[in-house]
Amino acid sequence: MLKHLFKLIWNKKKQNSLLIVEILISFMVMFAVFTFGVNSYHNYVKPMGIDYQNVWVINYNNSLQTQNSDSLTLFYEGLLRNIKAMPKVIDAGYASSNVPFSQSHMNSAFMHNGKRIDGVNQFTVDDSYLKVLGAKMLEGRWYNKYDANSKVRISVINNALKEKMFGKGNVVGKSITDYEGKNPIKIIGVINDIKFDGNYQEAAIGMYNRLDTSSYHWLGHILVKVAPDADAAFEGKLSRLVSNTLKNANIEIEHLPNKLTSFNKMTLVPLIILSIVAGFLVINVALGIFGVLWYNINKRRGEIGLRRAIGASGGSVSSQLVNEALILATFSLLIGVFFAVQFPLLNVFDLPAGVYLTAMGLALLFIYGIVFICSLYPGKQAAAIYPAVALHEE
Amino acid sequence: MLKNYFKIAIAVLKRRKFFTFISLFGISFTLTILMVAAAFIDKTVNDTYPDRKRDRSLYVKNMELRGNGSMNSTTLSYYYLTHYVGGLKTPVKLAISTNFSATNTYVNNRKIPINYKYTNADYWDVLEYEFLEGKALSKQQIDNAERVTVISEDMKNEYFGEDSGPAVGKYLEADNVKYRVCGVVKNIPITSYSLYADIYLPYTVSKKDLVHDKGYMGEFNGIMLAANKADVPKMQQEYDQMVARLPMPDKQYNKIYSHADPYIISYVRTGNEQKSGLTIVLTILSLFALFVMLLPTLNLVNINITRIMERSSEIGVRKAFGASSQTLVYQFIVENLILTFLGGLIGVVFSVIAMYFINEARFIANLELSLNFTVLFYAMLICLVFGLFSGVYPAWRMSKLNVVTALKAS
Repeated sequence: MLKHLFKLIWNKKKQNSLLIVEILISFMVMFAVFTFGVNSYHNYVKPMGIDYQNVWVINYNNSLQTQNSDSLTLFYEGLLRNIKAMPKVIDAGYASSNVPFSQSHMNSAFMHNGKRIDGVNQFTVDDSYLKVLGAKMLEGRWYNKYDANSKVRISVINNALKEKMFGKGNVVGKSITDYEGKNPIKIIGVINDIKFDGNYQEAAIGMYNRLDTSSYHWLGHILVKVAPDADAAFEGKLSRLVSNTLKNANIEIEHLPNKLTSFNKMTLVPLIILSIVAGFLVINVALGIFGVLWYNINKRRGEIGLRRAIGASGGSVSSQLVNEALILATFSLLIGVFFAVQFPLLNVFDLPAGVYLTAMGLALLFIYGIVFICSLYPGKQAAAIYPAVALHEE
Repeated sequence: MLKNYFKIAIAVLKRRKFFTFISLFGISFTLTILMVAAAFIDKTVNDTYPDRKRDRSLYVKNMELRGNGSMNSTTLSYYYLTHYVGGLKTPVKLAISTNFSATNTYVNNRKIPINYKYTNADYWDVLEYEFLEGKALSKQQIDNAERVTVISEDMKNEYFGEDSGPAVGKYLEADNVKYRVCGVVKNIPITSYSLYADIYLPYTVSKKDLVHDKGYMGEFNGIMLAANKADVPKMQQEYDQMVARLPMPDKQYNKIYSHADPYIISYVRTGNEQKSGLTIVLTILSLFALFVMLLPTLNLVNINITRIMERSSEIGVRKAFGASSQTLVYQFIVENLILTFLGGLIGVVFSVIAMYFINEARFIANLELSLNFTVLFYAMLICLVFGLFSGVYPAWRMSKLNVVTALKAS
């Protein structure tokens, strides 16, 4: 039966070619939308890795005249002490400009076992970072004040970087090198992944370095964990404290939850626009398929009438038409899957293969569903054809 | 003849209402998307408030230093703009300002985010901000480093309250400094990012030391104004010659790039010589248009073919009476264009509704999308392209119909 239907469609391949192309392109569009959506969801369900509630960021610019690192260190340590001494401040610490949910990224490359790994996010932070953000150590330890005297360069890496460099297993005490293969860096701990690009993007590979005295020349951000009852009045006080200490600087205080909301918007707005556009495109295509199938059935009244006259039931006639439409869709989906499979095979956008496969499955289901629904009504109409009337027309 | 085609087209449209609905739905929806996109682009790059002298201005935004393996690209220093750019002969005025940066202020236990921008006196001559109250920062005020500011209408409402009466003469605090308000200007959307700010301050009150920094790189950008339109190419040439003569600031670099661009090119400049912003923007836009138009076009082609096959007897008769293929193709394309323009008309109505909702939702503050003649012109153009694309192939198929089979089919 299927083979027979297959032949029927193959004989009309020229007539059906446009429909096939149309279904093929719809499949590719849906594949793109679903990949985007599945990937966002896949990242969304993973934990954030930090507790960003009640965390504020103070942005300032270093405007001190002195170039002396010692006096800078003294000055900024004093400022941090004053901030920590405020009543509603739980903890605070300096950080480089790539605080969570900011647009700023700093990347560098490293070597391990002769393999070069690019795009490692570099965070320069101080000892309080872990406590301020409420992140967890998976292995080893976080920095403490004695690390300032460390002879070798030490570093804390995140779990994503660990898995990329070492795979599973214990890594504390192992070493990697900078991108030229010189200067070993000893790993002292592994921190949990932090989704610093918002809810919908994956936690990128990263490395956390302890700030040293020269960092105060260019650092410009203080992360502050405050008590839940800290309000705008308190924020005003905090702002005044910082601007009275840093006389020539411009001060801005941001809240991490607000930064997260606006960062998420940047990922979600394109997805929403894409979905709306794709939704209308699909409605458009569905109506088109519906119309063409309906027309085809009207043209084949004679054939259908004859089938009915020699004893085919209404159900078998309508299922023939629905099956034909589904086989037609299979033609285009085969071509579509061929193209879609290239994405995980060639690893085009560096997404996990599972995301592509799920998206492909969803797109297949979706297209089959649309074609099935669009062919139901024309099929039913065909079943209602009376052989006497249809054959009389000939 | 055209009148006849028109009559036939309308008759055909009426015959199969369902097909007509599908075609019109596809066309009008596609056009709505493209028109809203066109209105958005038109608003962001073609709206000439407040830089009405755009056609005789050139924008200087950044400098890129390149060496073997090192690259540095950023905005310019005040020294560079006054000393090197200010020394050019052709520009009659040079507006200098920083890009906007953010700070907060706290009024009555309420937090207000403020975007501020430092400007020089020429800035207010080159750009024609519309003043709702007061006036611009004067040269004297700026030279004396007076703590005065021009604020936006939104800032006034936010800081002083909606019905607080005139704001001029009142004081506004930012970064622990009190500024006296000397003017209130009409809002501009953040999409005009090089001109947008909530408060405009004299560059002389900036807390940074601007005079002693003799490097090229800093936080400023400039707008050069020529005396008339004809002088613009001369001004651009003079700027390029000046850049070519610049001494290298550091041994690690061997090339200096900096451009004086017309508005649109400066708007999309990426700050990287190796990636042309205009190419990237054009590629993205055409891909989007293709993505939106491809499926509806295919759909329309499909439906058109179906409809033509339905009319095979009519075509057969016309052919039998001697109508040439050319006439038939011509007739069908005209019919299809009528259909697309009808869809376009509905699309215009839809896009007006869509724009109304987008404006109401205030996705981007102060960005009011509107339908103007430029957008309508683009809409007509898109209609035409759409109609031709979806009409040519079916018409060609139709003209190839064999007279005998066409007549026999009925």
